[in-house]
Amino acid sequence: MSSPPVLLLRGMRDAGRGALPQSADLLWIAGYAAAFILTHRFAAAWGGQGFYSLLYPPAGVRMALLWSRGPRLTLAIVVAEMAVQTATGWIVPGEPGWITNAIGVARPPLVYGAVVWLVCRIAAHASSSLSIAPMPLGLASVTAPVAVAVVALPWALLKPELTGVVGLRQTYASLAGYTVGDLLGVLLLTPPLLWVIQAAREGPRRVFWPETRLFFVIGEAVLVLGGAIAFGLLLVRIDLGVPSIPALLAVAWIGLRFGRTAGWCAIVIVAAIVLPWTTGNMPLAERLTLHMSLTSVVVVGYLAGSFADAQARARADLARRDRMLFQAERLKTLRAMSVAVIHEIGQPLSTLALEAKHLHEITVGADREIAETAALINRKAASLSMLVHRLRRFGGRALDEPSALPVSSLIETVAALVRPEAKGRRVLLEIAPVASNLIVLGQEIELVQAIVNIVRNAIQAADGCVQIDAEGQGDRVEVTVTNRCPGHQAPQPGMGVGSLVARAILEAHEGTLIRETDAAGMVRATLSLPLVGAAG
Amino acid sequence: MIPNLDPAGRAIVYVLDDDHDLGAAVARLLVRQGHGAKSFEDPEVLLSTYAGAPAHCIVTDIMMGSLDGFALADRIRTMDTALAIVFMTAWPTTANAVDSVRRYGGLDYLEKPLDEARLLAAVAEGVAWSRQQRDIRARTGTLSPRERQVFDLLVQGHSNKAVAAILALSPKTVEDHRAAIVAKTGASGLAQLIALTR
Repeated sequence: MSSPPVLLLRGMRDAGRGALPQSADLLWIAGYAAAFILTHRFAAAWGGQGFYSLLYPPAGVRMALLWSRGPRLTLAIVVAEMAVQTATGWIVPGEPGWITNAIGVARPPLVYGAVVWLVCRIAAHASSSLSIAPMPLGLASVTAPVAVAVVALPWALLKPELTGVVGLRQTYASLAGYTVGDLLGVLLLTPPLLWVIQAAREGPRRVFWPETRLFFVIGEAVLVLGGAIAFGLLLVRIDLGVPSIPALLAVAWIGLRFGRTAGWCAIVIVAAIVLPWTTGNMPLAERLTLHMSLTSVVVVGYLAGSFADAQARARADLARRDRMLFQAERLKTLRAMSVAVIHEIGQPLSTLALEAKHLHEITVGADREIAETAALINRKAASLSMLVHRLRRFGGRALDEPSALPVSSLIETVAALVRPEAKGRRVLLEIAPVASNLIVLGQEIELVQAIVNIVRNAIQAADGCVQIDAEGQGDRVEVTVTNRCPGHQAPQPGMGVGSLVARAILEAHEGTLIRETDAAGMVRATLSLPLVGAAG
Repeated sequence: MIPNLDPAGRAIVYVLDDDHDLGAAVARLLVRQGHGAKSFEDPEVLLSTYAGAPAHCIVTDIMMGSLDGFALADRIRTMDTALAIVFMTAWPTTANAVDSVRRYGGLDYLEKPLDEARLLAAVAEGVAWSRQQRDIRARTGTLSPRERQVFDLLVQGHSNKAVAAILALSPKTVEDHRAAIVAKTGASGLAQLIALTR
């Protein structure tokens, strides 16, 4: 074990190395810089003096990149944004106040990166409903713009020249506008960008709902949202202000009922109605109030949708776990049944084997055909008896005392158990002779199970041949299961529990399991167990 | 006491299994090996006939309908302590295997399908043990109660004098009893007397 200071140092070193973009990231950074210029220029069309009062799309692009490629790109994003701002003349090195400008440019991406990192870390370790996707993204999307404003507040108060606004009221208004713009930018732009990135990575997503259901979903959503908007417009028309409550309730309803995609569509529609309306000449207070209301609608709609999706995912996880439980229960029943069958077979087989042996003995001198038939019956009865003994040893007993086990007999038992499956898959089992002095201490049934799981995995992944070797290495024995893997493979049926079980059993026996693939495509699973006594 | 169970001098082995075919097959196997073997399906039938026709060895199944092999062993031991018992089962468990030998005095615990060589070895061993026990019992069975007391003390290692003191007899009387014991059991000395108690 390493001591905490060593771990801390290693963590810092890894973090330092991780903060540098890899070559694969450079294209993303370049793309980000281009998108930043584009969306920044686009937003400048309605950007007010010193702040963006409407919608700030670059924030959405930034969040999408951080979320899809990870917070380790934070520094690279800072550099890209500084470069862009230097090129556009916002930062001019040497001019008075350029450092303040540079810090002002670097702060948002730094805070965004920190928030994304924090949310990812908390989500990875928490087990509440907030940690189920897509809730973490929703939380990061809402938290990051607010955090930027909170961090910027002391600067804005101490260095008013940074935002170009003076006075407490103006500063607060500026920061509120900034937050609103970022929130709208992130919540409206990040989800579709992430969907595009995901679609590019995994191919187009299948439609989540069956088509008739989709029809009803759209119908209900249109009805609810349309009613809310119509009601809001009616109130505006008869001069009762611009109430946001109907829209808020509508998007919350849609988000909770139909999930994130539907919620996002609803908030886009609301934003598309409200934003153009406020581009005209409007008192600052009125516009800010409207935008704050819009932002509330957007935040509520998006979080409601994310929450609904997270709930759906949690339910799906639960259902999957239930299915696994059913499966385990069925396996238990199957095991009980096969044990019973083995016992029931043992009874008549006893008679058969005794009589077959007798028949064989008394027909040795008889007619050749009779003698051969009797010998054959005897042989088959004997091998069936052996099989019943072996199966019973494997499935019949619940627990066994640890005992000294020759590795050769373990491998023999394993081979007998997996041979039918190998044959069925047309895989050849090659078993090298095992030295008889290799003895391990353990529970026979469990160790056989562990090796069977490893060999079965190899058989399922192999193309043609699986090789099993066992060799002493000092005071340990290494059993190696080798198979050639035919390139990329579809995942095998099963739950991946086999190798977990094998690893757990081996570790309980002070053993290890290592799986490696060499350049030639050979997959090698090596299990190592301590030898006992005077072996070697 | 029955010094010789079978007129032809064969050992008597009873096979008990509720599967008639298996019981008969095992019995036939043992007959072929020179034993006087007979198969039973019902433990009660075996128990009721046993008093009149004891055996050297019983090969019995453990799981049977009415009376299991262990209960049978307990009951038959009260009738005959010189009987060897071999258990066989299609439902082997470690606990039963240990019990069959330690608690019920079984000679072996065989899993079905039966290992023929092991079955024959167990029966042969059981028969030899039973014969020896019956022989000892036959030889010491004719002792009078007083001779029996003297015999028990002698084989514990007491000298004639000590035996006389314990039983409040004269050393001469003890000498006489000792001579009678040697004559009845056919033992030629103390060592052979002790061997009879084993």
